[in-house]
Amino acid sequence: MTTPPAARLGNITKSFGRFPALSGASLEVRSGEIHGLLGENGAGKSTLLSIFGGRLRPDAGSLEIRGTRTEFGTPGDAAAQGIGMVHQHFALVPAFTVLENLALGYRSSRSRWTLPIPDLRDRAARLQAETGLRVPLEASVERLGVGDRQRVEILKALLIDPSIILLDEPTAVLAPSEVDTLFGLLDRLRAQGRAIVLVAHKLDEILGVVDRVTVLRRGRTVLTAGRDEVDGPALVRAMVGEGPVADPAVPDIPRPRGGRVPPGEVVVSLEGAPTSGLNGPLEIRRGEIVGIAGIEGNGQGSLAMALAGRSRPPGTRVRLPAHLGFIPQDRTRSGLAGSMSLVENLALALHRDPAYRTSRPGLPSLLRWSALRERAGELMERYGVSGPGLDAPVAALSGGNQQRVVVAREMALARDVLVAENPTRGLDVASTTFVHQQIQSLSSTGDRPPGVVLISTDLDEIMALAHRIFTIVRGSLREVPRDARSREEIGGLMLSGVEAV
Amino acid sequence: MRARPFIAIMGNPWVSGATALALTGLVAAASLWLGGFDPLAAFASLVRGSLGSPGAFLSITLVRAVPLILTGLAVGVAFRAGVWNIGAEGQLYAGAVAAVWAGLHFGTLPAALLVPLVLCASALGGVIWILVPAFLRIRMGVGEVITTILMNFLGIHLAAWMVRGPLQEPRGIFPQTESIPLSAQLPVLFPGTRLHLGFPLAMGLAVLAWGFYRWTVAGFRASAVGASEEVARVAGAMDVNRVLTGTFLASGALAGLAGGVEVAGVTFALYEGLSPGWGYTAIAVALLAGLHPLGIVGAGVLFGALEGGAGAMQRNAGIPSAWVSAVEAMVILSLLAVGVASRSRTAGPPTTANESGGIVAGTGGSDEDPGHA
Amino acid sequence: MPEILALTAFLEASVRLGTPLALAALGETVTERSGVINIGLEGSIIAGALGSALGAIATGSPLAGLLAGVVSGTAVAACFALFAVVLRTDQIITGTAVTLGGLGFTGAVYQARFGTTGTALSLPTLDAVSFPGVARIPVVGSAFFSQPITVYLAYLLAPALWYVLFRTPWGLSLRAVGENPDAADAAGVSVVRTRLHATLVGGALAGLAGAHLTLAHTGTFSEGMSAGRGFIAIAVVVLGRWNPLWVLVAGLLFGTASALQFFLQTLGLDLPYQLFLALPYALTLAALAGWVGRARAPAALARSWPPQQ
Repeated sequence: MTTPPAARLGNITKSFGRFPALSGASLEVRSGEIHGLLGENGAGKSTLLSIFGGRLRPDAGSLEIRGTRTEFGTPGDAAAQGIGMVHQHFALVPAFTVLENLALGYRSSRSRWTLPIPDLRDRAARLQAETGLRVPLEASVERLGVGDRQRVEILKALLIDPSIILLDEPTAVLAPSEVDTLFGLLDRLRAQGRAIVLVAHKLDEILGVVDRVTVLRRGRTVLTAGRDEVDGPALVRAMVGEGPVADPAVPDIPRPRGGRVPPGEVVVSLEGAPTSGLNGPLEIRRGEIVGIAGIEGNGQGSLAMALAGRSRPPGTRVRLPAHLGFIPQDRTRSGLAGSMSLVENLALALHRDPAYRTSRPGLPSLLRWSALRERAGELMERYGVSGPGLDAPVAALSGGNQQRVVVAREMALARDVLVAENPTRGLDVASTTFVHQQIQSLSSTGDRPPGVVLISTDLDEIMALAHRIFTIVRGSLREVPRDARSREEIGGLMLSGVEAV
Repeated sequence: MRARPFIAIMGNPWVSGATALALTGLVAAASLWLGGFDPLAAFASLVRGSLGSPGAFLSITLVRAVPLILTGLAVGVAFRAGVWNIGAEGQLYAGAVAAVWAGLHFGTLPAALLVPLVLCASALGGVIWILVPAFLRIRMGVGEVITTILMNFLGIHLAAWMVRGPLQEPRGIFPQTESIPLSAQLPVLFPGTRLHLGFPLAMGLAVLAWGFYRWTVAGFRASAVGASEEVARVAGAMDVNRVLTGTFLASGALAGLAGGVEVAGVTFALYEGLSPGWGYTAIAVALLAGLHPLGIVGAGVLFGALEGGAGAMQRNAGIPSAWVSAVEAMVILSLLAVGVASRSRTAGPPTTANESGGIVAGTGGSDEDPGHA
Repeated sequence: MPEILALTAFLEASVRLGTPLALAALGETVTERSGVINIGLEGSIIAGALGSALGAIATGSPLAGLLAGVVSGTAVAACFALFAVVLRTDQIITGTAVTLGGLGFTGAVYQARFGTTGTALSLPTLDAVSFPGVARIPVVGSAFFSQPITVYLAYLLAPALWYVLFRTPWGLSLRAVGENPDAADAAGVSVVRTRLHATLVGGALAGLAGAHLTLAHTGTFSEGMSAGRGFIAIAVVVLGRWNPLWVLVAGLLFGTASALQFFLQTLGLDLPYQLFLALPYALTLAALAGWVGRARAPAALARSWPPQQ
């Protein structure tokens, strides 16, 4: 008789309202393996993992733990079954100390009247020695950096001595060298006989570490195989479906010849703290795409806000043109007001344009709603936005259509410059290609094409699109020399940056 | 074209308002019946007392409606831009103090000057009373809910001090001020009634507010900030602090004006307990109207009828007048319940707070996380 | 020594006036630590006041009245929690409605039961209990230790709630729910149940505060006798920085400010006592602004969970 798998989720379905997130997803993990869970954005990986970890309840499906049929329960039930989860968005209380955070999920001491702090301190110290996950236990979590917070999150999962460990995109916030450390740890945990599920949407990163993979596509399990039985292209095919194979990270687009800066007047110039590592201000010219690469959390957000004129960081001077478009990273939360109609969302950005308002001396300026409506209809047609109409709240639009509304609006504004921060994050392949094409055509058509600033954590995207590349490390920019445009060299600069100067 | 702030979750304001009122009627009738009263007799005497005669309607209902409309507008203007001004009560008292002070101090001026002066003083008093919460919110990031509540008590204590101290009537016996001179009082519209100039003034301000939100750039900005500060700042490149400052000041001025109009139109003097909690009832008025300025006039008249008819109901049907406050609470709770019902009908996927890149109540599926999808 | 007597009376009044504020604020501290702000506290207090009056009249026992007050306050808080915690309606709006409704319903019930003639009810009251020994300490002793039982409950509840909030697993979960409900949920804590419990605890203590008003303070019930104490208690929580020990101190401070008017009158000083009444509010505003130490509210205060949009 063979030993049963550590866990088996069978035929899981889960819908959110009308939207089916999972429709027949299955996953089987064995003890002593690292199991890669792959899929595009929107394939349902996080949903499946949340169901596994007890945070979501499926509409239908079965769960077996070590061969025993089990009911889906709460996160507490999952923990009792030996399932430890490392969340993508850390489930930590910032105002608590590390120890208090560890105590939150910890239920072994059973005393209702005392916190098991001394006990936890011992156990955490032992675990730290074992795993090398060093964080100051008495520090308040809000003072810790992203890497430390992830270590706390992993410690918290390990504290219950789980037989199954679920990690949701743990590499997203880590630098390449930190990724290696993490995988080293996972290796040791596997050697102890634990089952590990590792979610990622970047294929190459995890192929070296996994034993088996399961691929989800549109909420369905389409492939489960041993690492040796499949190659990269086959996995990509499984992730994106049949048809022409395209590397999801690098869509098929004409690449600019690195280093050729198209001539054009300077439209944006930025001086101050971010440019201390440059010989002069950061200048953006018409017709060029400037890429700014960096690991998440290195000051991209405030740089984007400064370049878009939304905030003025002290000690930074920015010269900006009149017509500027800005695609914020969090497009649907900071780009669109869900309760407002499509026309109103367009007016959000266009209301400053004199073409859409009437001003008479002595009277308040009025909005020209008829002109705004007309423009809205026109843009929605050109960008292929389909939805319940111009007067319906944009929250009623599908996610993809919401993205298009933001892109359409900001491209229409960007007659001088477009600032885009991770414009394709969270998009599927088709939408990503669409956005890339729009950016390229924007910066290359017309007599006076606008300049583009592309701030992205996706190095491949930057290498594919940008004429000039900068790295950003702890808020400071450095230009990548033309002869150093390789993945490895830029990756190294993204890490070292400041110290290397 | 009108911006729909958070109230949008309640769906069509006409439908939800009517449903909530019907629900309130049912619950109110049931509570009377359980208490051993005759609901029909209660409603009949309530209607007779408030709407039964031109005199009752003009002198009771509409006069009661004036401070409710003005404070309702104060709350509506604030809520629309996402400012939680729970302090209309204190601003009203500050406005009343300022109005009485101006009326007494400049009592020799002719009515054509003095009436506007008194009203402006009351608006200014309301503005002064909201300055601290506005400053704390905008400059220091301290939420205005608690600070405006605190300022309510300071406003009530201010009035209590004034009527026993600096502004007490000259004989020093009663805790109230002297009456303001006739030239400071609002003229009566129809001889023989008590309906004063404050009613058309409140109507006019409501129409102005309606046009402001409907057509002006500044009104659109205010609604956008109310829909989402983040979106207004990032996508709209708006100076959110400026919009908030304007909102705080306008809201405080309207609530202060309510105090001034009440003093100059009805009581002519200041005393403790001038307001039976209009600043709080205003929240119900504004919500029932879906924050729509013209709707606030309607809701104000409705609540004016309710409060105005309470006395008649007590006399004729023996129903305790305090029960009317309970009915006002039922209106708010019914509106909330209707909102919950319409929300669950159009429920999308759940969203979680600490995620980035979420789709606003989305229905589409390009994001991975369950909270996004 | 009339001054000494006046001082003793002043301190005694401070404690007596501060106790309902401290009790309600202690409950609200627990509620707010779970991320719920209950502006309907006023409704719980007035319901507790009326409930305790009716209970005391019905049974003739002030202790039974106390219990009825606690039950009434809890019931009103349950109404608030049904809307704001379970149905996830806006906490501020719901709280305002519950306050309005609580004042209206109690007024209506009182008028229906006892008429509107205004003859004061006289109730069996809670007697002062003197602690032998400490109560004899001059001035302070009788002020603090010759008081009705509700006062001692406030003394005991402050450290007890401090211990529960900061030293027990339940308190840790509750604070986690108030700081980051998502994290608490991920750790297996039921956010809705925790908030429900915390809100009911708040309502129970507000009901106790109302019972103190009728049974220990005034010996009667009158319409609207809560007089804004629910809102004041919310200020007390802020001034006490969401820490039960400081909340007790802050509650007594507010009580001292209101007792000052009587003290000044007995001393024959003609000072505008409203300024003293205003002082604790100004102090609370200063605390919020960070001028007298930093008062940091629970991060998820007043936010529905799961969130609405």
